[in-house]
Amino acid sequence: MKPESIVGTSAQRVDVKDKVTGQAQYAADIQLPGMLYGKVVRCWEHAHARVVRLDLSAAAKSPGVVKVLGPADVTANKYNSSVLDLMVSEPMHDLLGDIDDQAIFTTHVKYQGDAICGIIAKSEEAAERAAAKVIVEYEPLPVYLTAEASRQPGAVQFVPEKPGNRAFQLPEPMFPDHALGGGDVDAAMREADVVVEDVFYVPKQKQCQMEPHAYVAKFDNAGRLTCWTSSQMPKLVQAKLAKLFDLPMARVKINATVIGGGFGARLGLISEPQACAMALAVPGHPVKLQTLREEDWAISPSRHPGRYWMKLGFKKDGTPVACDARFENYKGGYYLDASGTAFTAGAWLSGMYKFPALRYRGESYFTNQGLTGAFRGYGNPQTNFALEQLIERACAQLGIDPVEWRKKWHKGVGDDGWCAGVTYPSCALDECLDRGAAAIDWAEKRRRYANQTGTLRRGVGVAVMNHTSGAMPMLLEHTACTVKLNEDATAEVIFACSDMGQGSHTALKQIAAETLGFPFDDVQLASPGSDAGFDIGAHASRTLYVGGAAVKAACEDAKRQLFARAADRLQVPADQLDIRDKKIFAKADPQRSIDVEAITRGGVYHFVDPMTGETTGAPGQIQGYVSFFPPHNSPPFGASFAEVEVDTETGEVRVLDVVNTHDIGRAINPAAVEGQLEGGIQQGLGFVLTEETYYDDRGRMLNNSFTDYKMFGPSDMPKITTILVEDADPVGPFGAKSVGESGLVSPIGAVANAIYHALGIQFTEAPITPEKVLKGIREKGVAQVAH
Amino acid sequence: MKDAQITLQINGEEYRLNVAVNRTLLEVLRDQLGMTETKYGCGTGECGACTVLVDGDKAINSCLTLAATMDGKRITTAAGFANFGELNYIQQAFTDEAAIQCGYCTPGMIVKTASLLAKNPDPTEQEIRHALEGNICRCTGYEKIVKAVKKAARTAPGAAVAEPAASVEVAQ
Repeated sequence: MKPESIVGTSAQRVDVKDKVTGQAQYAADIQLPGMLYGKVVRCWEHAHARVVRLDLSAAAKSPGVVKVLGPADVTANKYNSSVLDLMVSEPMHDLLGDIDDQAIFTTHVKYQGDAICGIIAKSEEAAERAAAKVIVEYEPLPVYLTAEASRQPGAVQFVPEKPGNRAFQLPEPMFPDHALGGGDVDAAMREADVVVEDVFYVPKQKQCQMEPHAYVAKFDNAGRLTCWTSSQMPKLVQAKLAKLFDLPMARVKINATVIGGGFGARLGLISEPQACAMALAVPGHPVKLQTLREEDWAISPSRHPGRYWMKLGFKKDGTPVACDARFENYKGGYYLDASGTAFTAGAWLSGMYKFPALRYRGESYFTNQGLTGAFRGYGNPQTNFALEQLIERACAQLGIDPVEWRKKWHKGVGDDGWCAGVTYPSCALDECLDRGAAAIDWAEKRRRYANQTGTLRRGVGVAVMNHTSGAMPMLLEHTACTVKLNEDATAEVIFACSDMGQGSHTALKQIAAETLGFPFDDVQLASPGSDAGFDIGAHASRTLYVGGAAVKAACEDAKRQLFARAADRLQVPADQLDIRDKKIFAKADPQRSIDVEAITRGGVYHFVDPMTGETTGAPGQIQGYVSFFPPHNSPPFGASFAEVEVDTETGEVRVLDVVNTHDIGRAINPAAVEGQLEGGIQQGLGFVLTEETYYDDRGRMLNNSFTDYKMFGPSDMPKITTILVEDADPVGPFGAKSVGESGLVSPIGAVANAIYHALGIQFTEAPITPEKVLKGIREKGVAQVAH
Repeated sequence: MKDAQITLQINGEEYRLNVAVNRTLLEVLRDQLGMTETKYGCGTGECGACTVLVDGDKAINSCLTLAATMDGKRITTAAGFANFGELNYIQQAFTDEAAIQCGYCTPGMIVKTASLLAKNPDPTEQEIRHALEGNICRCTGYEKIVKAVKKAARTAPGAAVAEPAASVEVAQ
């Protein structure tokens, strides 16, 4: 890399000034002339019921009400608020069994908070008042909170297409015997000297993005529906809404607003269907739909909770021989994302260690819990909690140091990644483990904490993870990007990639500036939403890896055109030219040069001299373009180390220290990468220690508030060290791999294993709350773990 | 609903307002005055996104405060710290330390920092973390936010300890 590279520096965020002054415009901040206000009336009394009577007459007469909308007043089309169905081919769609089972307003309530009807009024207050006058009578139905309950014979069927309320299982023939993996697991397990096995529970964690969902929608007089939304996926939302409302895509426009946190919550649709249905009912008037935080708790799809059974077999020398697992998740009331996590949890499992025989089964069952969908990590946290604890137990039984075992048996370059046949192009996990172990003083602390007495017990633990950069080949990976060169030799990069706050737009701008050879400040990004070319959206840790490669390719296209014209003007072959400070010059003779502006300006202002009839340079504005499909998914690895202190009298676990190392390939913007790893720790600690959604026996949430749903606060956070291991990936742009989701995954296993080291007890149910710790101590007694 | 006539000084400007007595300060700022830099996060005083500064040093949750009770008060929002595009030292510190991701909690964090430093110009890390307890951030793990508050304390006008020059990465 050239010494003046912008790639690899912590360039200042493009949106920072807007954000520190509060000027960044989120959807709720939009104020349009003639705006009306929408309110969705939700069912709070029941998690499972049929609507037997809906009387909107009193609400319709309430002061300030413009319209009320029941199920019969909106399209009868159903939808599926996930977008996974748009990312697979038609045959795959059929194989997976994707269904559209959501209605804009329902008559069969399947979770607490399901939408019943809508109010459009002249003020939010008037809409609220009218909502209180809606009369709904329900026939309560049995409430099923677990897969075990909803698959019982005789249970009410959620949809006719999914008998037994099984929303999904890995389909044959793609997964023979409904299992992912290969080898003869039963035979291999019989040959094992050491077998470890347990059943785990993984929690229903909420994204808790700070911006509650908000929308503005307008059906204009020209018949175009516009929706302002902070969706992570403007292009797929455009496609979904067009299909739902039977409109051509050209008449559905998505304006991408600043995203106040995503973490998967905005992957696909949330309440865009309701907001747009309201806008369609009042043509010419924008309608704002501001979701209250209590609604957000209900309607944001959470992480998939459920039971995760796992069994691992090893030879005496530590050689892994067999892995057998089954994850049964509690889907919630609707189908969305039923296939995704059920598959990926096993994909991460298969990508981690060299088990020659592996069998994973993933199933999703409808329940009356709240929706489940995408949440940062997407199946990986669940797998990490189970797998990494069992590895730790095996290491204790085998008498092998857990760091050494992982170094020896993790998959690496040339091995199959999470998808069989797609091999790892790079892997720096050994260095992650070495540097992390040194940072936390692993050997010394394992020794020091081996013989403790007293109330407070300390422990250190390690865990590793593999993830992905984009979802190819399982899902469509495609980003289009246009780079327009202005006449004054500045550039505008146009794409639909969302920045959820992670700083991807800044990093993409760094890639553009570096590739073009333009100063950072002479490159501008435009991410207008659906007006840009196709992009899958921000998910699967893809934006930097796939979006960045697309930006790079589009900029290379523009640069190629620029160099072709410079070659003509300078009479030097294009491959012998270079660019610096917006000057193109012959490498062999830097004096032989031309200003980029002479080319770009001449291309736009291309005059014919009226006296001579002659022209200068080539005509035409230069635009680079690519419709990019990545050739790989370059998975990153990571290792986390944690030190904890457990109070054996209160059961409290204090996390003292977390070291998060990451195999980033190359950090385009190191401060942004650190930010992902640091924030990931906060969410990972929540998964393993504090975060869970609790329900009463009727399926009503018990802790839907920031007071009762405990996240790690500033004083709870441990000392944090992040280590970026840079070993350039051969495929990613400038060698970069992803970091968006990874940071929260392995802190989960590391903390669980640190608790095991401290107490000699493993906890199979997350989150590991003080109650569970005390119960474990009472039942099992504190013991020492030798290693 | 009855109205109340109140006068608020917001970011240095005086506003004479008719407010419904049941309106919160957050609603008046956002909906009545269009000052959307103060954010709605929960409406129940649990997340701190709506934090504003009262009379120069007291941070309050504007979602829990009835506007009618604030007659005669001096209110500062995050936008009020910037002088026509020029960031103040707290905003600059958050910028320099890359303490921002999605940005939704940021205005409240900046106001809370101003309140802390007004009362305690040289806080310890523990005091900083304690002061931020009422402001939830889901993106950063608080790590860079705490660093930004430390830096703001060092770079405040009149701070005892001078900032070492060029200590952070700057865009090219």
